[in-house]
Amino acid sequence: MRLAPKILLVDDEEIFTENMSRLLATRGYLVKSVNNGAGAIAALEEEKFDVMVLDLKMPGMDGITTLKEAQKLGLHTQTLILTGHGSVDTAIEAMKFGAYDYLTKPCEIDELVEKIEGAWKKKSKADQDDLDEKVKQAIESPRSALSFFKKKKK
Amino acid sequence: MVNTIEKDVPNRYYARLNRKFVLITAICSLLPLLAVGWIIKLRYSGFAESRMVEIFRSQAEHHRQIIELFLKERSSGLQLLAQTHSLDYLRQKENLQQVFETLNGEYQECFTDLGIIDVRGRHVTYVGPYRLDDRNYAQARWFKRVMEKGVYISDMFLGFRKVPHFVVAVLRRQGDSDWVLRATIDTEAFRALVEQVKIGRSGEVYLRNPVGVFQTSPRFSGKIMEPSGKAPGPVHADIQVRVHDTGAAKQIVAQAWLDQPRWLLTVRQDYAEAFYDVNHTNFAMLVLLHISALTILLVSFFTARHMIKVIRKRDQDAEGLNQQLIQASKLASIGELSAGVAHEINNPLAIIMTERQILLDMAQHEPQGDSAFMEQVFRSLSQVQTQLQRCKRITQNLLRFSRRTKSVIEEFDLNGFLTELAELMEREAGSSGIKFSLELDPDLPLISSDLSQLQQVFLNLITNAIDAHETKPYGNIRVRTHSDDQNKMVVITVSDTGTGIRPEHLDKVFDPFFTTKAVGKGTGLGLSLCHSMVKRLGGTIAIDSEPGEGTKFRIELPEKIEPNEEVPT
Repeated sequence: MRLAPKILLVDDEEIFTENMSRLLATRGYLVKSVNNGAGAIAALEEEKFDVMVLDLKMPGMDGITTLKEAQKLGLHTQTLILTGHGSVDTAIEAMKFGAYDYLTKPCEIDELVEKIEGAWKKKSKADQDDLDEKVKQAIESPRSALSFFKKKKK
Repeated sequence: MVNTIEKDVPNRYYARLNRKFVLITAICSLLPLLAVGWIIKLRYSGFAESRMVEIFRSQAEHHRQIIELFLKERSSGLQLLAQTHSLDYLRQKENLQQVFETLNGEYQECFTDLGIIDVRGRHVTYVGPYRLDDRNYAQARWFKRVMEKGVYISDMFLGFRKVPHFVVAVLRRQGDSDWVLRATIDTEAFRALVEQVKIGRSGEVYLRNPVGVFQTSPRFSGKIMEPSGKAPGPVHADIQVRVHDTGAAKQIVAQAWLDQPRWLLTVRQDYAEAFYDVNHTNFAMLVLLHISALTILLVSFFTARHMIKVIRKRDQDAEGLNQQLIQASKLASIGELSAGVAHEINNPLAIIMTERQILLDMAQHEPQGDSAFMEQVFRSLSQVQTQLQRCKRITQNLLRFSRRTKSVIEEFDLNGFLTELAELMEREAGSSGIKFSLELDPDLPLISSDLSQLQQVFLNLITNAIDAHETKPYGNIRVRTHSDDQNKMVVITVSDTGTGIRPEHLDKVFDPFFTTKAVGKGTGLGLSLCHSMVKRLGGTIAIDSEPGEGTKFRIELPEKIEPNEEVPT
């Protein structure tokens, strides 16, 4: 048994996010869906997600901007680009900005799940590395470790 | 119908252009040339004619002077004789005989006889061959004239010997007994003076008296002492030169009146001969002029033809380029359009796909209900899936067609790649009786290109080649490679023995959505994708097809392509 990965689904098509949430939920994921970039940033600030599935073309804040904003938050959340747009170029550009991978719409649910798993693993590893680093630091310099826990309490 | 009209219009246009060229050249060079030529000709003719007239005038003047000098000499001689001898001395026949002989010695035997006539017209003494001693000339016209004027020269007459003669008589005034010295002159010397003048072939010189009787024999138009048939007209002091056109012959005639005797000197020549040199020069010049004109005309004609040919060729090249440009821009705008369409369709497709998945999930978790219904549900969902995949393939092709994908350029062995590909396709086409033959150039260099795009290109071409054999029980697909070292290109040809492509379809095969396959069998994007990919990789693709015989694609690829050299489509 594992902890269910938390997914943030960002797409301007409501029916799509609704359906996708349902499909992912049946496959054992915790899903929250939002329909614009601003909502995504707000959600990321509010709670922790393992993977964000992000549409590139959205009214208002588009996928790339959303990605950049999310990066600024300094989270380990992995971003999976899901684009209906032909511009694989844009998807590749998004990967330069730190996205984990990309998928083109329409995609099979299995494909998506596979990529999500990959992203989740990466996120877990990042979390683990981070923790290891902190533990190491705590061993090497207890004071700093203390400050870490203090912060944590806060 | 439309085609012939479209072809005729440029032909007419070139013909008109041709005419214009020739006309302009002709007007600009021929007209001035001909104008200058003809003006020079006319001026020269006029100048030459007036020169000729001058020459004739001076010739007539010259002859008149010679004749007058001759006559003057004779009459002066006689006058001197009369002045220096007395009548009494000359009355003695032996004295006159002596004088006569001396005279003939001095004047080349031209005196026939010599006589002394007294004031009453009686022949006093006579030396000569005739018996004229007792003649009386009192009533003779010449005698009256000499008594009046002192000197008289007669017209020609036939003497007793039937030889033309003329008489020179001078008067000696000696107190109250005047006497006349009269001499008959043998005209041979005189006539030679006039008659032997030769002017060209047709020229003649002669003398006539005022009533038109020849005084010398003309070369052609009569004999001495014969009437010329035409009165010479009034006496004039100057020399008259005119061009005399009788219709049959055109002649130039100079006429001058002698003073003593009143004879008319005529110098004449055929106009054609007189002006032979002038006319000859003129003719030569005109021939040269017209040959030059003709040459210019011919040269301008051929130059124009050549130029039209060159222009036509350029126009055709430009037209070809234009066609390519149109094709390129057509592809570009279709690309943009299809990208938009694909995107718009992809989103609903994604939703349909999730809806299907939800249904599938539910159906799979539903406990066994109505099995027939469930079976239909699964069948329908499966069909939905198939059609979704089909849509997806279409939109992806559309997107790939328009997308500016970043290529991955790597170095690889084209021969090896084609061999693998052919083996793969041969397995797939295995049951259809299609044989693959590879003729690969072993010296082909490694090439740098985008392997995945080329794979797409050759997969498309070979798939098409296999499909082209649908109506044939067996066939052959041949893949050849060879390198074009000169242009640093490699050439790959893919040829099949399939049904071929009809000529009217040949220029459309690279257009997106153009297909002759049955609905649902092909998207019509395969070849346009190939076209845009090969272009992007810096190459060219060309097609050649014979209906019923097969189709051949020829692809040229650069040996090396730098990623930034890619040609955007």
